[in-house]
Amino acid sequence: MNIQAPIKTELTFADYKSDLKPVWCPGCGDYSVLSAITKALATLQLPREDVALISGIGCSSRIPAYTSVYGFHTIHGRALPVATGVKTARPDLTVLVAGGDGDGFSIGGNHFLHACRRNVDLTYIVMDNSVYGMTKGQASPTTESDWTGSKLTPEGPGVAEFQPLEIALSAGANFIARGFSGKPNELVKLICEGINHPGFSLIHVLSPCITFRPEQREYKSMVHDGFGGFGFDDGTPDRREAFRRLMDDDGYSCGVLFKGNTPAFKSPTAAPASLADMERKFAL
Amino acid sequence: MTGFKDMTGVPEFLAHAITLEQEAAVRFDELAGMLEVHNNHKGVVDLFRKMAHFSRLHLAEAKERAEGVDVPKLAPWEFKWPGDESPESGTIEDAHYLMTAHHALTLALASETRGYDFYQGLADKAADAQVREMAQEFADEEADHVATLKEWLTRYPEPESTWNEDMDPPVSVD
Repeated sequence: MNIQAPIKTELTFADYKSDLKPVWCPGCGDYSVLSAITKALATLQLPREDVALISGIGCSSRIPAYTSVYGFHTIHGRALPVATGVKTARPDLTVLVAGGDGDGFSIGGNHFLHACRRNVDLTYIVMDNSVYGMTKGQASPTTESDWTGSKLTPEGPGVAEFQPLEIALSAGANFIARGFSGKPNELVKLICEGINHPGFSLIHVLSPCITFRPEQREYKSMVHDGFGGFGFDDGTPDRREAFRRLMDDDGYSCGVLFKGNTPAFKSPTAAPASLADMERKFAL
Repeated sequence: MTGFKDMTGVPEFLAHAITLEQEAAVRFDELAGMLEVHNNHKGVVDLFRKMAHFSRLHLAEAKERAEGVDVPKLAPWEFKWPGDESPESGTIEDAHYLMTAHHALTLALASETRGYDFYQGLADKAADAQVREMAQEFADEEADHVATLKEWLTRYPEPESTWNEDMDPPVSVD
């Protein structure tokens, strides 16, 4: 019998998009992040069935539905523990996690710390617009302390902003970078690097909310390449040096900050005890 | 926008031409989709779909020119665009849920003009004579599109400044 091998056609970024139309506001930065994620998957030619995209709750967390890879739109702040479970149970999958600043750094803040510390091989893409958009514009953990755009905080939140990159570096993330949705091709590069780098990767994305933070349209004139005077691609493996560069960061530096060399967490290959042994221990 | 970047030859040039049209088609479809979802009934959805259709026709032409040519596969960040994205990818942040045909045509015109500038830049400055020649053909075609869009724009003058007023805004802060 002469059976021909199936012809393997190359996947384009459009193949990674689903038929669902995003409900984001026209002009939202998240469209470009979706585009960057699909382009990154196409660049790496990852089979769709080998990729899982896990998200929490919020505007940006709708993203798995707009892709054709496996997706799980979980609950608020819990994308990282779910993704950790997926990756440890199925280490063969490429696991991406996506969400916003409220989801990831407020209700999910504690999970963020421990995901960095555990260093499971995940790529966490945070679309940061410094506002809760889905609930109509309240201050989030990364909102400036003097932002008076919400009636809930008419004099501004009055508290210091959460610093995602500093926290990630302190907590043990193995790859840390920042991109801008207005520079999607650079973002593709960062996402590809994050996926390829072992361990926990944080890709912090400045993604304007044109509805509740219209002033963020100015990001495009504020972003600049590299941290601490170094180039876009010049991430350092030295944590002390990365901290030094962060001290000079104005919040708009884009590129790779840190490329650590800690091996990724690996779950034990064999179960610690057989099911029968465990059942015996619990027998009354 | 950054400066001029030359092509190594026709294959690299065609890789850019194909991607330019492909990304333009996807972006125009995306713009149409986002306005459809947000119930924009001002003819903008059809207009963006039409632009996407034209981009696909040009994509087919570019692919035809590439037949038999070993077109290199480039990663998104390896393209030599003058700016951050392929020139005819209309800027997402210029979209608004209440935008009118005038705004849509202005956005499309800006895209086509960037496309024209890209090709004309290569036609004027590329080191390779074949690239210059092919780029001139593409630039002439883009010049036609620019002229057509300018003509369409005369039919859709700038709307009143109240075009984005919404008595029942979907995004009002409670």
